[in-house]
Parts: sequence; structure tokens; C-alpha cells
Amino acid sequence: MKKGLAIFALLLLWVLLISTVVVLPPMGSPENPTYTHIVPRYLEKGVEEGGAHNIITGIILNYRGYDTMGEVTVIFTALMAVLAVLGRENFLLHTSKAEMSTVEKSIIVKSVARFLTPFIVLFALYIIFHGAESPGGGFQGGAILGASIIIITLTLGLAFVTKKLSLKYRVLFESAGPLGFFIIGMVGILCGQNFLTYLLPCVALAYQDLVRHLLLIIVEIGIGVGGGAIIASIFFAMEKVEKE
Amino acid sequence: MLRILDALLLIFLLVTAIGVVRTKDLLGAAIIFSAYSLTMAIIWQQLSAPDLALTEAAVGAGVTTVLFLITISRTVRREDE
Repeated sequence: MKKGLAIFALLLLWVLLISTVVVLPPMGSPENPTYTHIVPRYLEKGVEEGGAHNIITGIILNYRGYDTMGEVTVIFTALMAVLAVLGRENFLLHTSKAEMSTVEKSIIVKSVARFLTPFIVLFALYIIFHGAESPGGGFQGGAILGASIIIITLTLGLAFVTKKLSLKYRVLFESAGPLGFFIIGMVGILCGQNFLTYLLPCVALAYQDLVRHLLLIIVEIGIGVGGGAIIASIFFAMEKVEKE
Repeated sequence: MLRILDALLLIFLLVTAIGVVRTKDLLGAAIIFSAYSLTMAIIWQQLSAPDLALTEAAVGAGVTTVLFLITISRTVRREDE
């Protein structure tokens, strides 16, 4: 009886799903609603309404700002899950797995990592700050920032990096993504507009564009710094080994 | 010329994608996956999506591979025992 009911429910669900799939618009057809309304609107008015010369940045921070805020929060939640399972590193108690390795790291690898890291960080900052004008943005720059920290940790050791990048400040940086979004979003509310409005009516008309650009860049910095710190913290949590 | 490059990249992408699944050795699979991500990044660039190409190159080929390698180095191989 129970089994029959389950099969019946599954069949019903199957029929429902299949009948929905059948009436979906054909995949990739140029007559689909997304291509007839949304894409032309984004392409025609995206730069003007989005506030960024790079239309993609305008879309992900302005039209789809809530989406991006959710993504940033998801990354932050991932970090919390990793820390809940693995725990924070402590440079007094832990050392990195790469340091424990019996293979001697060559002087070439060490010097190249030392030499290149400032340039990688500079490139990451360029991508974060220039995200509104050219390809790039917070997520990409943050990943590169995190990668530079990973490189220097793998070659020079965990203690060296975690002493410089003290936990006190990293905790703040980790939450920069969601925090930046919420603070900039609240600015819109304080101005009498909706959450996450960048074009503020309470600013003089001549400065509205400038202020919007500034707010977008602040959000980008939040996403970038937050993403980089989160990647670094996840890496530290996974890489740490107890000292003997 | 660019057509030939695209075709080569797509063929290489297919080869690496099958390689990741077929390789028994996890370390090898992680490295092939990194090559897959790098190829995918070039293909995104060819499809005029530089934003995605940057993300794929930094996250897919860089950070994910490192996290995979750490995970592999911290686990034990069953077949060795």
C-alpha cells in the first residue's frame, strides 16, 4: 500500500515535470523572452543605468545586486563551515604542511616567489579598482589576492605570513564583502530610496554620477578584500599541521 | 587561423575532461583538472568573455588546484595499504 502510494506520487511528479519541460521555450532560440527584452535593455542602457563602463560590472552590482550580495554571503558561510570543522590556525602552535616536507625547496623558487608577490598583489588591486572600467572586479581580484598569499605561504611558511597578516585584522577583512554590501545598501535606505540604490537623489545632481561610481568601487573593494582574506583563511585552516 | 586554434582548444578540452574522469591517480587527476580549467579560460577569452576568463584562470586553475592538492596530501591512499 505504502509502496504503491510512493510510486503513484513519483509518477505524478514525473508527469508534472515532463509537462513543464515540454512547454519551456526552445533552448537558444532568439525569440526567447530573455533575448527580446532583457539583453537589448542591458546593452542599450546598461552603461547609463548601471553606472559602470564595463556592462558586466554594472549588471552584477546594480541590476543583480541582490544576487551578488547572496554570493558574497555564500562564500562567507563557506568559510564559517570550514573553520567550524578545521579550526583557526595559530602560528605558535601550528606549522604548514609544506614546511614539514622533507623535500628541500630550492633557492630559485623562494626568490621568485618573494620577488613576484608584490607584483601579483599590485595586479590584483588593479583588477579590483579597475573593475568598473575594464574586465575584472571584486571576485577576480580577490581570487588573485588570495592566490598571492597562498604562494608566499607555500614558499616562506605559515608562521612568516600569519605573523604579518595578523588574525585581528584578517577577521575584519573576511567580513568585508557582506559588510560592504550591507553598509552601502543602507546608504540607499537612509537617502529615502530602496536597499542597494546607488543613484542617490539626496546628493546634488552634478555629483550623483561620481558618488555612484565611488559606491560601486567601495563595494568592489569589499568583495575583493573579503574574497582574498576568505581564500587565505580557508587555505591556512587546511594547510596547518600541529608542531611537534 | 583562429578557427583552427578554437578547434584545437575544444579537442584538448574534451581530452582533459575525459582524462580527469579516467585517471585513477588523484594527484594526476587534480593536475589534469587544472589544465582543463586553463583551457576553459582561453576558450572564455575566445568567446569574448574576459571577466569569466579571469575568474576561471584565478579560481579554477589556481586556488581550486591548491585546495585539491592539500586535501590529497592530507588523506591516505587506500591501494598502498
